[in-house]
Amino acid sequence: MDNLPGSPARRGWLQWIDPRGKQGGGWGFLINRLAGLGLTFYLFLHLMVLGKLANGPESYDGFVKLAHHPVVVAGEVLVVLAVLLHGFNGIRILLTSFGIGVARQRLWLVLAGVLALGIGLFFILRMAGVLS
Amino acid sequence: MNDLWKLTVQIKRYKPGRGQWTSTYNIQIHPDEYVLDAVEQIWAYQDRSLVYRHLCHHSTCGACGMRVNHREKLACITRIRDITRAGGTILIEPLRNMPVISDLAVDMGQFFRLLDEIDYDQVQPAGSLPTGKGIRPDKKQPDGIERLVDCLECGLCVSACPAGATSGEYMGPAALAAIQLSSSSGYADMLDLADSEDGAWRCHSAFACTDVCPSNVEPGWRIMDLRKKLIARQLSVMVKKNEVTHG
Amino acid sequence: MNRRKQENTWIWFIKQASGGLVFLVILVHLVVNHLVAAGGLLTYSDVIRYFSHPWVVVMEIFFLIVVVGHSLLGLRSILLDFNPTAAFLRVTDFVFVILGSAAVLYGVWLALTIASVV
Repeated sequence: MDNLPGSPARRGWLQWIDPRGKQGGGWGFLINRLAGLGLTFYLFLHLMVLGKLANGPESYDGFVKLAHHPVVVAGEVLVVLAVLLHGFNGIRILLTSFGIGVARQRLWLVLAGVLALGIGLFFILRMAGVLS
Repeated sequence: MNDLWKLTVQIKRYKPGRGQWTSTYNIQIHPDEYVLDAVEQIWAYQDRSLVYRHLCHHSTCGACGMRVNHREKLACITRIRDITRAGGTILIEPLRNMPVISDLAVDMGQFFRLLDEIDYDQVQPAGSLPTGKGIRPDKKQPDGIERLVDCLECGLCVSACPAGATSGEYMGPAALAAIQLSSSSGYADMLDLADSEDGAWRCHSAFACTDVCPSNVEPGWRIMDLRKKLIARQLSVMVKKNEVTHG
Repeated sequence: MNRRKQENTWIWFIKQASGGLVFLVILVHLVVNHLVAAGGLLTYSDVIRYFSHPWVVVMEIFFLIVVVGHSLLGLRSILLDFNPTAAFLRVTDFVFVILGSAAVLYGVWLALTIASVV
């Protein structure tokens, strides 16, 4: 890129998260990126925790007891929300990438969000029973 | 003239050697005038050091692209009434993802060089282009009618694109849309250009380009269509290779 | 201008395809792990029982492979947005392959270990 000396040029990755002026699919892009990063981190953490299963019932069930703690349950809820948002928006991206539904891509984004949050709410209520 | 609005206009300035700062101006302007008129008024009566681009004043040349209240707009068709109210504030900044030369003028050299390299035909059969409602070509147009393609080469799409924010190498929506237009007319060589990490595969489907395009180019859809064409082309190459070895 | 040609068509395609597959499998995975289970979380014995079915083992291993692949391809995409040099990309690609392979091998071992618990 021919950069003029001293010229303020690109704003870098901060432009991804800058909410000012963002419309429609720009939010979809951001949600997918943040959720994807969070889920990648969670994935590797999850795999490590599952290692406890190889150490027998005391080790794993001990962790499951811990997982009933409100903070862990809240984290679990965030993960499921991230999966739903990233997943439904990802399907929208998959379809539009092959030319399906491009004309109404904003509508699909809203639909994806509604579906994700709706199912997420159902999940939250279900897990709320876990705290007792 | 009491139907004039008092407005505060903040403009993001830049001069080499001085860096960036924001200048604030107070103007009176009729709300049915345009942001470009406000900028011109400021230049003419308040600050002759303000640098900006303008030409046709009717959204044909693409020269006056700038960010108005954080959204990419053509200043000549952005009515004051539509973006603020009496006593309000307007923030005007240069386009993003391109180096600033001075104040609101950005360096569009790379942008134009790339379009030049693509060398797409800017006059196309009217029936192959959408009418402006939707993205489908307007098949109802009679044969033999040609018109200029929609792209004004204004650069708003490049400014809005999040992929362009971090990658100076990304070809950008305007160039990719131009290639899609070219491939519609049969210039297959250009598909090679688009079939790269810095081409159609860098796009993240944010559709910010489509959102800000003032001229119904639908670059987002064109990039998606381009992807289909590129995959089809790769598949046919693979099939041909198979035929050669087995034929 | 650096134009790396035709390197990314199929990597992009695999990212999309793996994403679609992950979506399908993860719905099953979430339902089993959180809806079917009594307390919303499976205990050790629940897991052992679940993994006693061979199709579960196959599904979970398949899930592991596509989800690790999809997530690392996604990370790679974000990295590509910053336009790394070819040399830098070679190093990170190597790291991704090692990380991905290690995760999958570990997961397969774990799955088979759990499945073999009587």
